Amino acid sequence: MLRTSGWEKALRYVLMLGVLALTVGPFLWQLSTSLKGTTEDIYTSPPRFLPEHPTGHNYAEVAGVVPVWDYALNSLRVAVASVVTNLVGASMAGYALARLRFRGRRAAGLVFVAALLVPVESVVIAQFTLVRELNLNNTLTAVVLPGAVGALNVLLMRNAFAALPYETEEAAVIDGANAWQRFTRIALPSVRGTLAVVAIFSFMGAWDDFLWPLIVLSDADNFTLTVGLNFLHGTFTQNPRLVAAGTVIAVAPLLVMFACLQRYFFRGVGEGAVKG
Amino acid sequence: MKWLDQPAEHYADKLGADAAAGTLPDVVNVSPDLSHPLAAAGMLMNLDKEKAAAAFKDEYTPEAWQGNALPGLAGTYAFPWYLNTGPLFYNKALFRDAGLDPEKPPKTYDELFAAANTMARKSGGRIATLAGTPSVEDFGRYGVRLMNDDATAFTYNEPKGVELLTRYKELYDHGGLDPQALTNTPEKAGQKFLEQKVAMNPGGAHDLETFKKNAPGLYRRLGITDAPNNTGKPNMYVMGLAVNKQSRHKAAAVAFAHYVTNRKNQEAFAHKVAVFPSTRGSLEDPYWTRDDGTDEGRVRVASAKMLKGAVNYTPVVMSDEMKTVLKNEVAKALQGKKSPRQALDDAAAASNRLLKRD
Amino acid sequence: MRRAPAPAVRTHRATSPWLFLLPGLAVVSAFGLYPFLTTVHQAFTDARTLTPGTWVGLDNFRRMLDDEQFWVALRNSGLYVALVVPFTVLLPLLLALLVQKPLKGVAFFRAAFYTPVVASVVVVALIWGWMLDDRGLVNGILRVLGAGPVDFLGDAWLLLLSAMALTVWKGLGYYMVIYLAALGNVPHELHEAAAVDGAGALRRFVGVTVPAVRSTMVLVAALSSVSAFKVFSEVYLLAGPTGGPAGQDTTLVMLVQRTGTGLAGRVGYASALSLVVFVIALLLMLLVLRADRKEDR
Repeated sequence: MLRTSGWEKALRYVLMLGVLALTVGPFLWQLSTSLKGTTEDIYTSPPRFLPEHPTGHNYAEVAGVVPVWDYALNSLRVAVASVVTNLVGASMAGYALARLRFRGRRAAGLVFVAALLVPVESVVIAQFTLVRELNLNNTLTAVVLPGAVGALNVLLMRNAFAALPYETEEAAVIDGANAWQRFTRIALPSVRGTLAVVAIFSFMGAWDDFLWPLIVLSDADNFTLTVGLNFLHGTFTQNPRLVAAGTVIAVAPLLVMFACLQRYFFRGVGEGAVKG
Repeated sequence: MKWLDQPAEHYADKLGADAAAGTLPDVVNVSPDLSHPLAAAGMLMNLDKEKAAAAFKDEYTPEAWQGNALPGLAGTYAFPWYLNTGPLFYNKALFRDAGLDPEKPPKTYDELFAAANTMARKSGGRIATLAGTPSVEDFGRYGVRLMNDDATAFTYNEPKGVELLTRYKELYDHGGLDPQALTNTPEKAGQKFLEQKVAMNPGGAHDLETFKKNAPGLYRRLGITDAPNNTGKPNMYVMGLAVNKQSRHKAAAVAFAHYVTNRKNQEAFAHKVAVFPSTRGSLEDPYWTRDDGTDEGRVRVASAKMLKGAVNYTPVVMSDEMKTVLKNEVAKALQGKKSPRQALDDAAAASNRLLKRD
Repeated sequence: MRRAPAPAVRTHRATSPWLFLLPGLAVVSAFGLYPFLTTVHQAFTDARTLTPGTWVGLDNFRRMLDDEQFWVALRNSGLYVALVVPFTVLLPLLLALLVQKPLKGVAFFRAAFYTPVVASVVVVALIWGWMLDDRGLVNGILRVLGAGPVDFLGDAWLLLLSAMALTVWKGLGYYMVIYLAALGNVPHELHEAAAVDGAGALRRFVGVTVPAVRSTMVLVAALSSVSAFKVFSEVYLLAGPTGGPAGQDTTLVMLVQRTGTGLAGRVGYASALSLVVFVIALLLMLLVLRADRKEDR
């Protein structure tokens, strides 16, 4: 490895700090706004980045208007369920597409590619009719179902399994292990990183979804966070501090989860999970 | 039976999905523009034809019962629930600074345009009078005929409508409208009024609380008036409770809808959330006739008075898409991309095409 | 893509692959393909939200040709692809090169650059709306610099550009990660050889890095073209449901949403529009991938 010269190092850090300000800055600005009290002017020029008298008041007020924490719990349930179904469903399908030879494999692969191209907005009503025929409308199960096995996740898993050298399974085949045993004992443990990527993608997807839960859920008890926050949007735009507090509550759990999993995530990336 | 509250935004999408899937609740909260497509598709009970329901007709004011009637469908499809009409708030200090009498807010559109021009001139274009573009209610209050009698074609492109839009265009060019008027949402408009950049803004009684808390300075100079009007008939919003025709518990649903909208419950509800009851005699109650000295009381009494003889200008057959068509064409006229006449002709033509497809 | 070398004998029962595929295929068919087929069918009817509709042949497509809004929306979605894709192909690559060197703390930066991807687009749009407000952060800074105020949210073009900037910003981390994965496979020796040759940073980038990650750049171009063409949330949230001043910022998927939903929604026409979106997205993807293959020869 080449030595990095001093000035190059400095330049890299300066650039990284610059990008950091651009990517994370807006979130910190939102956090700062949410901590500013009612008496503090939030429109000052030059902008004041730190709140004068930081207060948690806005958070208490948001929670008083809508049961944010109940909604967050619903979102968490949906997101966790979605992670589980995606891990199981996508890895199984991905394994079959990558490691098993059979007639119809190409067609099956195409089904998942085609599904990626359909704009969700145009099929929502048809999806709702289906959920309703299954008698599942207004349940959290219905919120999970359409995204239970994401087409993109299937393709990611297929790529990860395809990248494994054939020899990985050879010994097991000779030992007479069947497909399921090879899948669970050998293939799965070799793609842990990609599994982390799929977990993160499906958690984020479920946590952030708005249009679908809005249509499926009619009972306020079942609302997920994004639908619940929609209440805030109309009611409180006159007070950016409250909106800011609401958005911080919506973002924080995701950031915490990502911070915890990012090590595995980037390892998964190194595995070539998100390559074509 | 279960009570479900829905956020206003996307409520129509939600009802649409429910109705299409056959899961419409037994009793639905609808404004006439929502009940129209539902009733047209045969999903709502015609109360005039249902003896058990028609019996309650006399408990409501005739205007309110009429307000829930649907043209072309021969009947009333919802129990009248609450009514609403918004006061127009204005900033007395800004009026004074512009040399306008803060105690004499504009009452007609002529006065409104005159005041707005003065405001723009005197403030050097810094202060706009209104934050939004004219809506279909404005056309109605200006005295424009919005539709033909059998509600099969839009007529707001008649000369009077063109005249109103032409005057709005002049106003926009002279700085009488907020520069962002074309994109302002009601919330954004409210915020600009709060920041004292805009001198007048429509609102409701609940806004008083916001002003008191977030803009005490503004609150002290707050003026309250009615929206300018050339017809003598103020605008009102009508809300109703409709009964699902396919309901398995029809009798119970009718009873429930009537129970919620009966005089006692409507008055109690209106006390709580600052709306107005549609039951006969309710508005003669001292609560709505006697000024108790508070600002809330003043707004309440003034609004209740306006409701007598008020009409719902928004045509019930006007779907959201048709409202967007009008809004976008009005914006094109204000931008100068089309003449007001051309814009309104195009809007009416496009809306009529949408209407025919029903 | 090259397949893993195939075993000479079959190593599983004939039904096994289908059992593995069952959950995935069931969900994707039921909630992706089946509704899509419904959409294809409805594109040729005059269905509405509350009425099933009858067969009208190509009427919906003919009507599109005279629909002013359709052309505006097609223009906007097209512009979105043209202006967003070059940035999402290039900027994330530079970013990946920046955080690739194992310097101290680089893991933190990598994760931090990913933050905008993690946050919901609803939240991100709320934050941007607040920053781009005429009294918001950006204008506050501009004022200090003696410029502005710029009316980001009032002008149709500025609104569209702001939404594009938001899309690029939110995608930075996502595509950076894809590039990181690809760069991991570029042998270091290549770079080192070039550096020893005394090649400058720019020449090394063009001569070594770009050829090495070219197939990934194509993939990113294909993915981001499709998603840029289907843009909905960013514009919907910043410009409002009616698409900015006079609807000039409406995109195709916004038009689908606007015409197809609500109680009087014209499901038939909206389905026809969806079909157009689908076909163009598919063509875009094939076009990008085809261009790549040609260069290969």
